[in-house]
Amino acid sequence: MPLLGSFCLLFALALAAYCFVVGVIAAVRQDAVGYRLAETARRAGMASFAAVLVSAGALVYAALTDDFSVAYILHHSNRALPGPYKFAVLWSGQEGSVLFWALLLSAYGFVLRLRHKVDQRLVAMASMVLAGIQVFFLTLANFAANPFGMMDRVAADGSGLNPLLQYPEMVIHPPMLYLGYVGVSVPFAFALAALIMRYPGEKWIHITRRWTMVAWLFLTFGISLGAHWAYAVLGWGGYWGWDPVENASLLPWLSTTAFLHSVMMQEKRGMMKVWNVWLIFITFMLSILGTMLTRSGMVSSVHAFAQSSIGTWFTGLLIVTFTVCFVFYVLNRDHLRSENKLESLVSRESSFMFNNLLLLGACFAVLCGTLFPMLSEAVRDVKMNLGAPFYNKVMVPIGLSLIFLTAVGPLLAWRNTSVGSIKRNFAIPGTVALLVEVVVGAMLVKNGVRFWTDMGQMYAMLAFCLSTLVIATVASEFIRGGIVWKNKLQTNLAFGMYQLTRRNMRRYGGYVVHFGVVLVVIGLAGAAFNRDVEQEIGKGDRVAIGRYTLVGEEYTEDDNANYRSQAALLEVYKDGKFLTRLNPEERFFKASGGQPVHIVANHSTLNEDLYVVYEGRNPDTDHPIIKAMVNPLVNWIWIGVLVIAFGTGMALVPNATVMSVPVPSAVAVASMEKQGMQPAGVTE
Amino acid sequence: MKRILKALLLPLALVLLMGADNQEARFQNLGGKIMCTCSCSQMLLKCNHVGCPNSDQMIRQLRAQVAKTNNDEEVLQWFRTTWGITAVVEPSTHGFELLAWILPAAGLGLGLLLVVLLIRNWKMRPAPVAAADLNLAPDLEALRDRARRETEI
Repeated sequence: MPLLGSFCLLFALALAAYCFVVGVIAAVRQDAVGYRLAETARRAGMASFAAVLVSAGALVYAALTDDFSVAYILHHSNRALPGPYKFAVLWSGQEGSVLFWALLLSAYGFVLRLRHKVDQRLVAMASMVLAGIQVFFLTLANFAANPFGMMDRVAADGSGLNPLLQYPEMVIHPPMLYLGYVGVSVPFAFALAALIMRYPGEKWIHITRRWTMVAWLFLTFGISLGAHWAYAVLGWGGYWGWDPVENASLLPWLSTTAFLHSVMMQEKRGMMKVWNVWLIFITFMLSILGTMLTRSGMVSSVHAFAQSSIGTWFTGLLIVTFTVCFVFYVLNRDHLRSENKLESLVSRESSFMFNNLLLLGACFAVLCGTLFPMLSEAVRDVKMNLGAPFYNKVMVPIGLSLIFLTAVGPLLAWRNTSVGSIKRNFAIPGTVALLVEVVVGAMLVKNGVRFWTDMGQMYAMLAFCLSTLVIATVASEFIRGGIVWKNKLQTNLAFGMYQLTRRNMRRYGGYVVHFGVVLVVIGLAGAAFNRDVEQEIGKGDRVAIGRYTLVGEEYTEDDNANYRSQAALLEVYKDGKFLTRLNPEERFFKASGGQPVHIVANHSTLNEDLYVVYEGRNPDTDHPIIKAMVNPLVNWIWIGVLVIAFGTGMALVPNATVMSVPVPSAVAVASMEKQGMQPAGVTE
Repeated sequence: MKRILKALLLPLALVLLMGADNQEARFQNLGGKIMCTCSCSQMLLKCNHVGCPNSDQMIRQLRAQVAKTNNDEEVLQWFRTTWGITAVVEPSTHGFELLAWILPAAGLGLGLLLVVLLIRNWKMRPAPVAAADLNLAPDLEALRDRARRETEI
């Protein structure tokens, strides 16, 4: 099997190279022969997916059958490793993850080439660009990071998978992130193809909108699964540590978010064409940079599981990508001129521009912080890592400004918005937000929280206020539109809102995404009110935190083929009443030299998490040490992510009546205009 | 409009200007900028694991330094000198480390300048300029119509 895998990997490279080279020739020739060549290139590109799939399958088969003659399997698996984790071996190390990149890229390419009839010329050019990227990753997989390297002697057992990765979410977190990283290659390929071809209009945007949203959704899922994994496994009670590798995943997410917003200006008004093209170029380069940071060892990180010297390859890819993009931009920039101009500073267009400014500002700030240790090392010979205090100071104000724009933007009309309309639209949401803020503040004071003495808590209060403003504006949009449809169809409000949404899934799906984002923000803001305690706790001993009391009931030890473990059984009381039992555990994985991993016990509610970690035994007293934390509102982060996924799914669904939206009655139009809205289906 | 802006800016200004001026608040604030050096990767005041060889000593030193001087930067500098440059994870506001603060602000400022220039340029432009070779096909016009419908009510 390893030989078959190795052969298929080489064959895939040959096919991708053929697809690229013949694709270039076909693009240059532009005649009947060129057309036929393009078709063979397309088929070679599709066949390359099959070859990479067989190659990846061979590696997984080697892991499942404990074939330790393959060096990669020897170093990343062992006999006692459970089956699903053996499957995850594919992406747990350097060589495997490069192969996995190539596999996902080929899969995206396969679907793109399969759907070539959407626009044969544009898809052929985009396919050629994708093939170029495929050639890079397959060359890397064949010659610099080959997963099928063989051992001289076959060992009896392997070194095992990194214990931190032996967690169910870890089976899906990396694939999600990779799907996001690789997914942005598709809009990048279309944008570059359209620029090379001087393709008229925004067809590349229409074709890639769903691709971009899907890639963004995968990135969102990947980032949040990583955060949840860190929360559940690392045992420090947090979910985001501004680690360079975490930052690397955030960078393309921020720029893709900016792109998804600014692209609407091009679609609707033919503006910001240069900006959008460069935004997607930058997003692709950031996804490559992210992979480089994760894999090259350029930055030190708890997440950099696979470090090697392949960083120079990625640096080369970044330089080539930038050069190609820049050259074609210079050659064809006259093609990207705006068709319209901005008519007012108070308009939807300007809100998108400021939204983009803040998102890209955030992206730049994170990039600076991530690369600063390298700069510091180059200048002062000391790698100074920037921690959470730096990022919190820089990012929190930017984040709050973004939430404010999220509240304001959707209420502004395209082209121009009158002051009267702003007043009308903001009166109720603003009042609701202030009322909620007062109530939350009063509740906190009642519970003894003096939030005005702590900067973090003040920011959290501001975040609650702005989040409420967003929720109120989103709700008001649904309700006002729903009332119009209720009157028009003579039905109830819920059905009116359903009809409104079905007729404009993209817009209202977007609002649901905004709602999800503020739920995440509310969850993040809760961290300002975290509490924690760490204490030795023997049988019958107690530890108190907030309204909770933990009582040590029993301590156990276990041993199996994969790991040995120590665990505590704790009784939990809330306000003196028995609540539940918690069972925090610490595992020591044998194949990894006894590396410890915490299995956190978490009693989670919508209000707060009681998060308990077994920290091991005090070597002096041999008493177990328990760390307990009360983390408010954490669950809202995960709920928010699910809402974001639901909203994105909504935005991906076609409208109920796409091209023939019924023109609202004159009464309905008058009613909507009175409320500062434009009726559905009516275009200027 | 001005009143709304003032109402929004006032709480923001209050938040930004609100400084911690008593010693306990300074202690908490500085403790959140210093890292425990026992390799636990936790902030000093968060590192409360039993048996930590460094955090108790560092916390005592932090209290002593806060009592000794009113200058927070001096306290952080003392920790840099005593425990190494990596003990403080918030860059200093002078010298090379100032660059870490300047770069994001400069990026945002430059971006803002570009946006303002772009808007000014657009506003001064006499009439919309069509792209050089933009003869939109009917199907592209239909797509743009569809985009118009999908991006607004």
